[in-house]
Amino acid sequence: MTDTRTEGVEALGGTADVIVVGAGVIGCATAYNLALRGRSVVVLERDESIGNGGSSRNGGGVRQSGRDARELPLAMYAVEHLWPGLSEELGADVEYVKKGNLRLGKTEHHLEVLRGLAKTGREHGLDMRMLSTDEVRELNPFLSDEVIGASWCPTDGHANPLRTTLAFYRRARALGVRFVTGVDVLGVRTVRGRARQVVTSAGVFEGDEFVLAAGLGTRRLAASVGIDVPMRGLLIEALVTEAEPRMFPQMLGTADADFYGHQTAHGSFVFGGDSGLEESNGYAGGVPTASITAPAICRSIMKYVPRLADAKIVRTWAGWEDECADGVPVISTVDEVPGLTLACAFTGHGFGISPIVGRLVAELCCGEKTTLDVTAFRYDRFRAWA
Amino acid sequence: MSDEAVRMTTNGASRSFSPAPLDRSRGLGDFVPAPDDDVLVCRCEEVTKGDIRRAVHDGMYTMTEVRRYLRVGMGLCQGQSCTKLVRRIMAAELGVSPAALDAETSRAPMRPVEMRVLGNEEAAGGADAR
Amino acid sequence: MNRHDLIVIGAGPSGLSAAIEAAHAGMDVVVFDENARPGGQLFKQIHKFFGSKEHHAKVRGFRIGDELLKEADAAGVRVELDSSVLGLYPDREVVVRHGDEVFHAKGDAVLVATGASENTLGFPGWTLPGVIGAGAAQTMMNLHGVRPGDRVLMLGSGNVGLVVGFQLLQAGCEVVSVVDAAPRVGGYGVHAAKLARCGVPFHLSHTIVSAEGTDHVTGVTIGEVDKSWQIVPGTEKHFDVDTICVAVGLSPMSQLLDMAGCDMVDDPRRGGLVPVCDESGATSVTGIFASGDVSGIEEASSAMIEGRISGAAIADYLGYLEHEGETRRVGELEGSLDALRQGMFAPKNRGTVPERTEEGCPVSMNLLEHGFLSDDEVLAYPGVTHAKGVHAVIECSQNIPCNPCQDACKKGCISIGENITSLPVVVGDAACVACGMCVASCPGQAIFLVDEDAGDGFSTVTLPYEFLPVPTAGTRGRGLSRSGEEICDAVVESVRCVSAFDHTNLLTMRVPEDCAMRARFFRPAPADADEEAVS
Repeated sequence: MTDTRTEGVEALGGTADVIVVGAGVIGCATAYNLALRGRSVVVLERDESIGNGGSSRNGGGVRQSGRDARELPLAMYAVEHLWPGLSEELGADVEYVKKGNLRLGKTEHHLEVLRGLAKTGREHGLDMRMLSTDEVRELNPFLSDEVIGASWCPTDGHANPLRTTLAFYRRARALGVRFVTGVDVLGVRTVRGRARQVVTSAGVFEGDEFVLAAGLGTRRLAASVGIDVPMRGLLIEALVTEAEPRMFPQMLGTADADFYGHQTAHGSFVFGGDSGLEESNGYAGGVPTASITAPAICRSIMKYVPRLADAKIVRTWAGWEDECADGVPVISTVDEVPGLTLACAFTGHGFGISPIVGRLVAELCCGEKTTLDVTAFRYDRFRAWA
Repeated sequence: MSDEAVRMTTNGASRSFSPAPLDRSRGLGDFVPAPDDDVLVCRCEEVTKGDIRRAVHDGMYTMTEVRRYLRVGMGLCQGQSCTKLVRRIMAAELGVSPAALDAETSRAPMRPVEMRVLGNEEAAGGADAR
Repeated sequence: MNRHDLIVIGAGPSGLSAAIEAAHAGMDVVVFDENARPGGQLFKQIHKFFGSKEHHAKVRGFRIGDELLKEADAAGVRVELDSSVLGLYPDREVVVRHGDEVFHAKGDAVLVATGASENTLGFPGWTLPGVIGAGAAQTMMNLHGVRPGDRVLMLGSGNVGLVVGFQLLQAGCEVVSVVDAAPRVGGYGVHAAKLARCGVPFHLSHTIVSAEGTDHVTGVTIGEVDKSWQIVPGTEKHFDVDTICVAVGLSPMSQLLDMAGCDMVDDPRRGGLVPVCDESGATSVTGIFASGDVSGIEEASSAMIEGRISGAAIADYLGYLEHEGETRRVGELEGSLDALRQGMFAPKNRGTVPERTEEGCPVSMNLLEHGFLSDDEVLAYPGVTHAKGVHAVIECSQNIPCNPCQDACKKGCISIGENITSLPVVVGDAACVACGMCVASCPGQAIFLVDEDAGDGFSTVTLPYEFLPVPTAGTRGRGLSRSGEEICDAVVESVRCVSAFDHTNLLTMRVPEDCAMRARFFRPAPADADEEAVS
């Protein structure tokens, strides 16, 4: 039987204005924005499937609160200008809900931490404040008696990362972006001092501009042209329940950061969390879950939302947070390698800002003035501490 | 680049990576409605055959993508009942053998389990310890 | 951490067999099973098994289950029931749910023997109540004593469909047809024959067009398929049914192995996603083994031997068995397994249909296409002969590994020989004493005692009768042919229910002598019939 998928693809390789490596939400959003600007784009993805990295494993938070001050403008822009119209723009329901974020505290120390976050938020123009015990319970009657307060950011929310990533992919593809999956990109090659090619397991792709948005894999690729991105993988796990009767619309988090999550459009609850032993847990080369983590996440959740004790978990999974040395991503052209742009190291919070990042990276590639200042995300910002 | 870092980038199976390059630009032709498009395939999430066929035409070329796009196989039975059917439908739409499609990553828990049960870990040790 | 030499997941025939073997070698073994009762699918198998004595031939599945449990108990195997293994993690660690809590356990070795689950088929109306897997129907009937419905259509003519189809009849259901899209019956001819002579028609090269009903199945339409599996217009047939049993194959429940990182392969001939294993069941992950249906759909008999092989291999791996001892033991077991994997239905021969049996007899296409041997075909087989007085007539026409009939006859009337797939031969000059043991011992219910000339123009036919109520002597009725057609009047002369027959009652009926080689089943007359005496 002829494989209609690969018919006529004997000679892989090719040329485009922009080559994007990585078909996660960042790569797909970038490709989409490039296509809007009339650029020809090829997206190369190592995995068989689109978005099988962090993009399909995260908790779906679209938040501004709790972000590093450098990232806050991006998140606020995305929430105000891009997320509300995204479903319509992409022609697919990304299940965006803007009903706020509650970060819960059980102790005085928690409340102190939360106050700090709220203050930072307000300093940057974010509507964020602290709630008393009564106010919290009014907003969310399902919280346990242990919760004594919370920070509240009414403009935060959540969305469906699986559908969002695939929606960007689908729209980009419809606009003519060429996606090639199952391709291992081995390195970037410069010609006369300028990035000109990527060498892959299935041929060479040539272009004028190159975007590396390959999660942790970006490090290896950037290294091929002498650039290092100081990042590492942090394992984190998640779980999902069956559909439950509608309970609350807010995104939940905790001052302890022991779990975060929300109730989806489907009715199931998605929560992320960890056991605290991730850094020393072994792994078999893939992203296996550890036997102690899901139980730990459950105990954390039940302390805050007792009603969920009877919710049945149907699946657990794990993923990598691409943790940058200083906690915010690298979104940057690389001066010393003209033609190269990096978009990586999102440290576990890339999803919420993905719509604006996609645009910013496209702007960088096209030499346009960027919608927002991205100086803070330069690739060469890292300095020794002394 | 250390082996560790290379392994860390493999988000899929821990098995040896052997990519089969696939260019998604190749279209599948127009979507042609079929008389049995309204037959349910995934009964847990109420996804029909037509939904799946349309998803493939939207560019969802792997089982993983179709699952995330439609929720097929994400319900209570986690694909136990419908996976083979979905595979056959996708394969027919793509013009490939069902064996050519990706296998879903299997995950715990093997059976749905209440939070209060999963969180209730019996203390280690006891009479069974060697 | 609860640490064991061997953790077995699944207390079905394969898991228990492995545990027994390992326990005999001195290992500390624990078996986790999610069900309230052990034995996997064994306890609902109420029919007699095939194979030879070492394979528990002629023993009913549930009794084999009982024996296995006794052996496990005697060997000191711990079976933890209501214990659902939720995950198989690195370092051979399992998380097990028991009641309202979970606990962790680790094994130096882990054997996954979780079996398989039933496939579905997505025809229009398949989600209506009344559409049920054949295995599920079997569990309902044989373990819970509940009929799945009254009028049933069976989709699938593999052994599961055929065996369950017959059990539906035994439970008092009406089976309106056995349907299969394939052009030939997929399971043993003898299983098909049991159904055909009860009047169940076979519709091969047919599939379900749609099931109808609003909140429950009330009917079903089937249609013939062409070479591209499309329904041929105008061939639709309708049945009023309240139940549709679906027997379209099994899929290994291999998720734990996949989760643990074993190399897997999608092998349609083994039923789906299976681990890559060697002959001892060792997967690509050190210390993790797989046996039984989870490593490839076969049957209970092979699952049990595979379990033992894995048990021995694990004992060797962990130093509980000296390698020489293990090699010998595994050699024996592999011989036993190999004996099962021969003949027309052997895994290696799947998909092919021989024209002739090993002996050179023609393979009956009538049997394969309609479920019964035709009158003239029957004489081609060495088990079917004419003789004076009562003699055994063995309507066994396919090479399958099976020989309990040979051992059953103390007079040496039946011969199969070393090769257990050989067709049974009724030895010409041996003296049949009509003890009936052969009739009762045949798992395929394919043996009859016939006295072609019983006097006064009559013959007697003794047939295996596994239905309730058991008719009494003198009961009038009709004799049915192999195709289920009423061909003559018949009267029950006797019904023997002897414990040695293990619930296969021997019904002897008197029929006109021209029906001696044609009448093969008895249907009692309806209670209110006013029948004339058989002339």
